[in-house]
Amino acid sequence: MSLPRRRSRILQTTRKIGELIMTYFSKVSDAKSKGKPVAWVTVFTPVELLYALDIYPVAPEHFGALCSARGFIVDYLEEAERCGYSESLCSYSRCSLGYVLSGMNGIMPPPDILITFRNSCDVYVKWWQSLHMHLGTPLFVGETPYVLAPEDLDNYVLDYVVKQLEQLIEMAEERFGLRFDMEKLVEVLKLSDKASELWFETLKLRRFRPCPLGGRDSASDIFPLVVMQGTEEAVSFYEELLREVKGRIGRKEGVIEDEKFRLLFDGIWIWHAFDLIKYFEDKGAVFVYEPYSEAWAYRLDASEPLESIARKILSMGLNVDIDIRIERFLENIKQYQIDGAVFFSNRSCKTWSATQLVTADILNKKVNVPYLLFEADMADPRQYSEAQIKNRIDAFIEVLSES
Amino acid sequence: MEIPSEIRDLCENPTAILSRYRDSGVKVIGYTCSYVPEELMISAGLQPYRATNIRADPSALTPSFICPFASATLENMIRHDDLFSGFVVAHTCDPMWRLYDILKKKTSKPLFLLRVPHNTKNELSLGFFKKELVRFKTFLEENFEVNIDDDAMFNSISLCNESRDLLKSIYMLNSNNKHKVEASDRFRVVLACMWMPKAEFNVKVKGLNFDNSKTLGDVRLHVNGTAIYESSLIKIVEESGGFIASDDLCTGSRYFWNNVEESDDPISALSYRYLLRTPCPSQSPLEDRLDYINFMVREFQVQGVLTFAKRFCDPILYDSVHIRSMLSKNDIPTMVIEYENPAQEIGRIKSRVEAFIESVGG
Repeated sequence: MSLPRRRSRILQTTRKIGELIMTYFSKVSDAKSKGKPVAWVTVFTPVELLYALDIYPVAPEHFGALCSARGFIVDYLEEAERCGYSESLCSYSRCSLGYVLSGMNGIMPPPDILITFRNSCDVYVKWWQSLHMHLGTPLFVGETPYVLAPEDLDNYVLDYVVKQLEQLIEMAEERFGLRFDMEKLVEVLKLSDKASELWFETLKLRRFRPCPLGGRDSASDIFPLVVMQGTEEAVSFYEELLREVKGRIGRKEGVIEDEKFRLLFDGIWIWHAFDLIKYFEDKGAVFVYEPYSEAWAYRLDASEPLESIARKILSMGLNVDIDIRIERFLENIKQYQIDGAVFFSNRSCKTWSATQLVTADILNKKVNVPYLLFEADMADPRQYSEAQIKNRIDAFIEVLSES
Repeated sequence: MEIPSEIRDLCENPTAILSRYRDSGVKVIGYTCSYVPEELMISAGLQPYRATNIRADPSALTPSFICPFASATLENMIRHDDLFSGFVVAHTCDPMWRLYDILKKKTSKPLFLLRVPHNTKNELSLGFFKKELVRFKTFLEENFEVNIDDDAMFNSISLCNESRDLLKSIYMLNSNNKHKVEASDRFRVVLACMWMPKAEFNVKVKGLNFDNSKTLGDVRLHVNGTAIYESSLIKIVEESGGFIASDDLCTGSRYFWNNVEESDDPISALSYRYLLRTPCPSQSPLEDRLDYINFMVREFQVQGVLTFAKRFCDPILYDSVHIRSMLSKNDIPTMVIEYENPAQEIGRIKSRVEAFIESVGG
């Protein structure tokens, strides 16, 4: 089936993300050259705590996405594979390991400390161990137990995570001669909370028809939430974004001119094939909800700083019980008036992909949402079959048209 | 020494014993890995049974790139759901974590997730794990209407320690440079311990005598991996002239290497033993695991280390890079063999194993 290409609009604020990313990396490099510690963190590490300690966070996952999107990831992947890392391992991890093994000649400055909290996957532990073995840099591995029920955010599970945060502060103070200032943390938390509040408000506006903010926007706009949480720059970005989205709603202007299908996207975006989102939009389908976009936003309570941070890193999307995750899907399918669901079965993210078939089946049975599930890799372009995936998308759109 | 046919048969088809348990009214708890303390289930009057991938294909409920072992284990648990009274899954690696999620949507039986901290060398983790074991004990008491008192735990700890001592004594017959016990026999005995009632197992194994055992190969190897239930892999090594003197498998030494201290506080003793035991590849710090492999290599005087890495098994695939790097400093050769289904890959695996043994032995 062929449909005419539609004009789809990316927000002006989204277009500024590239510059924001470059400014951020240049700030980290400046800080490093001035002797400030740089931490390599997994993306659900509480960066607020690091900013309060004057440690600069860099996320190799973000670097992997960036390398993939800009088309220069394969050299790093091949270097890691040449050194023995299997190509079945997470492509983000292979990218940063390849970067390290090839001499770190790029925008990520070498780390002074490696920090991970095992919330989104167990691979984090193995990946950070591997970086530690190659670099000899100090390593902090934090445990964030799987949240089986909401009570875990107030019982011994919470207590365990809070105490590990205290250990991290102590380690940073001892190793870098820093002094932790609780008042500074409170200020950082207020900024982080503000950014999350603004982003949540923006995401809610996607409930409008036509949807004012699409997948290409949300995929880029999350960047400040990942490594800039707690900064003025992040708050300014989300203020500007919200203003622009509200403007679109006032003008009844959507991502695409003739919105036919409103879709849910489950997974990490495919950075090397970002145009796939546009392929959906050309067929009148717009992404209006993704669990990924919500993953880093969390309302923080500055009156309970460490407890609040602990709850945030415990509650990230993949670290809560499957029943809670399914309930969230059902609620959002209703709120965002979703017509169909797209599940990206990501070879690199086994922890995310493992339950997708079961989840999709349950959603289909409970609320009769048709779904498409396809396999590829988020960052490794060698594990991607464009023609096959586009055929599947075409067939899915036909199903949506008939339902 | 011939391994009794009962143990041989059990290893070929362990689910057969589940029917025996059902017919005699024994309640069985299926569990997934060696981080789950069998002692607590035994003290509740329940029979622990280690779930496996034997005779199952990967489940159609998981993607093709998920660890085929975890997926086939899930398949077996669902397929034999009616033979179990409950399940316990340990959160060690991603596939096992998600196996719990899927099982939760597919079984009506009581199901428990034991959250194992990944940063084992941390006092806080020990305290947390102890609370998890208390939660596990409460789960068993509430779901099976039993009271687990200290005496019951003392008895089960003592019983399991006896099993572990027996297994370790067999294992140590190969220490230094001795060639006593063929790996295929040793593995069968270890596996039987995970399925049989411990008291029955202890009596049977005490009667085994390895004095006149014959071994096939003579190139001493250490096998590294996770859980291996496929006897064909072991057989390939033996038939190719290898002698598996030691291992750090979840279905090998890691299962029985450390005992539980018989102290006044059984829950503390269990948490200490199970968290700080010889580490699984999913755990941190990695240095502990490397130390353990180094120790095994020296103690059992091995000439090479063979890693059987299940395809998509992330922990083993990351570790293998560092194990190779560490051992190469001591001139110990290593080889990593990635596999998915040994039955369909025998030729490829055999030719690689033969080449490795030839290079090590030569």
